[in-house]
Amino acid sequence: MLPLFFEFHSPTKVVYGPGLVSDLHAELSQVGARRYLLVSDRGLEKLGLPARVAASLEDAGVQVVGSFLDVPENSELGAVRACADEAAAVGAEGLVALGGGSVIDTAKCANILLSEGGDLVDDYSGAGTLTRPLRPLVAIPTTAGTGSEVTQAAVILDEAGSVKLSFSDKFLLPTLAVLDPELTVSLPPRLTASTAMDALTHAVESYVSPQWSPMSEALAAGAVRLIFDHLEAAVADGSDLEARGALLTAAAMAGIAFSHAMVGCVHGMAHAVGGLCHVPHGEANAILLPHGLEYNRDVVEERLAGLAPFVNGLTSEEDRLDPADRVIAAIRNLAGRLNKAGVLATRLRDVGVPEERLEAVAAATVMDGTSFYNPREVVADEILRHLRNAY
Amino acid sequence: MGSFTSSEQFETMLGGFFEHLTTVPSIAEKLLASKLIIRFKYTDPDVVLVVDCSGDALEIRRGDSETTATVEMFMTADVAHRFWFGKVNLMMALTRKQMVAKGPVPKILELLPAIKPAYQLYPTYLRENGYAQYVID
Ligand SMILES: [Fe+2]
Repeated sequence: MLPLFFEFHSPTKVVYGPGLVSDLHAELSQVGARRYLLVSDRGLEKLGLPARVAASLEDAGVQVVGSFLDVPENSELGAVRACADEAAAVGAEGLVALGGGSVIDTAKCANILLSEGGDLVDDYSGAGTLTRPLRPLVAIPTTAGTGSEVTQAAVILDEAGSVKLSFSDKFLLPTLAVLDPELTVSLPPRLTASTAMDALTHAVESYVSPQWSPMSEALAAGAVRLIFDHLEAAVADGSDLEARGALLTAAAMAGIAFSHAMVGCVHGMAHAVGGLCHVPHGEANAILLPHGLEYNRDVVEERLAGLAPFVNGLTSEEDRLDPADRVIAAIRNLAGRLNKAGVLATRLRDVGVPEERLEAVAAATVMDGTSFYNPREVVADEILRHLRNAY
Repeated sequence: MGSFTSSEQFETMLGGFFEHLTTVPSIAEKLLASKLIIRFKYTDPDVVLVVDCSGDALEIRRGDSETTATVEMFMTADVAHRFWFGKVNLMMALTRKQMVAKGPVPKILELLPAIKPAYQLYPTYLRENGYAQYVID
């Protein structure tokens, strides 16, 4: 049955190609801006990526009038303001974000200040607070996970009050997303695995979300297939451009899917163990995905079954399970194989979560904003049972 | 033009309902626990209502544009009216900009389960307070 209403709005132009970042003339000439600030981080600077991208942008006929490379690991308010100040000081007409989700989110919010001025928190945090297009933003992801290059959301930490501020607006959607798998080859195997599991979680959670639409589900299912078919190859050989490209594409597809259909209690639990026990987001999702699906299983059985044709790696015995259980088993097997390869944890005890914190994690999961979109009510006692299973 | 023409009438009607909700313990307790100060800014007609959960007791303040709110919600009176019947999906309304939320949206989402019982109370409130003609089904 179709949903009674859905909206699909994905105006970000997506271009894909190995080595594409050296050849952006055609795309950039259509974006319009001439003078860009390049936003990136110090880790990527050590790899020489910002310098390489700046040179190719200049080759493409635009000017890189400055750079801001001090984006912290988790995007923070101070960095957003400093980035916007730098952009204004050098007279940037647009921004190029080169990096992971944190860099892209920082650039999205710096663009609000650059384009509109005012106070980021008081005037713009929330949903739908912008009233007109911002300056052009070109997003060039160097990880395959968050999908921020195609989403309308940004999360920024207010380091003073240590609260996470969320921004959601269609005007935050980047103008152009450049998917160049060559930029992700230096991502180490562990990060490759955990960021891809984050993308897989976006795909699966959005697929079974009550907010799904036929358009979001097609992208989610496609992302699931690409990740199952290519993740292990990318882990085994980081220079496998085909596998890297598949993951980068999957992360963007899953990003568009969850930007429309939202995520549920797996992300709720991941946010909770992230906030309380500092478990990195992708690792938390990788551990919790099968358990969150078990939690929702009976309510989403029919929806989840739709993903069965897109997964693989089942034993002949598992092949005889119900389709929904095949999907859960395949996800568990994939994580298990990555765990055997030494690149992914599959238990909360292995990522520094103290057992006595699980109750607090369950309570925080219920209070997480994602609870609202979960297919069934998020109840602390029951979540706790599944967290214990994941322990 | 919307269904409501007089700011005063809409303020009395919806403000009265909010005040009624403060007397429902199951709802009031959860709102108080949130500690939020929420300002609703309605248009067509213009009305401002503040729901202050920051103290020991819930306070509804009509026309309060001064208090610093944790969250501000903007919508037309018609959208607000339909919301209290449970006929507006908040997420969808935000996507379509039928509603705009300034501030920590996740905190608002957390409150939704708490106010769900209010959807049943709204039509009863309207009928019992002389607004029966505004009940929609
Ligand atoms: Fe995620």
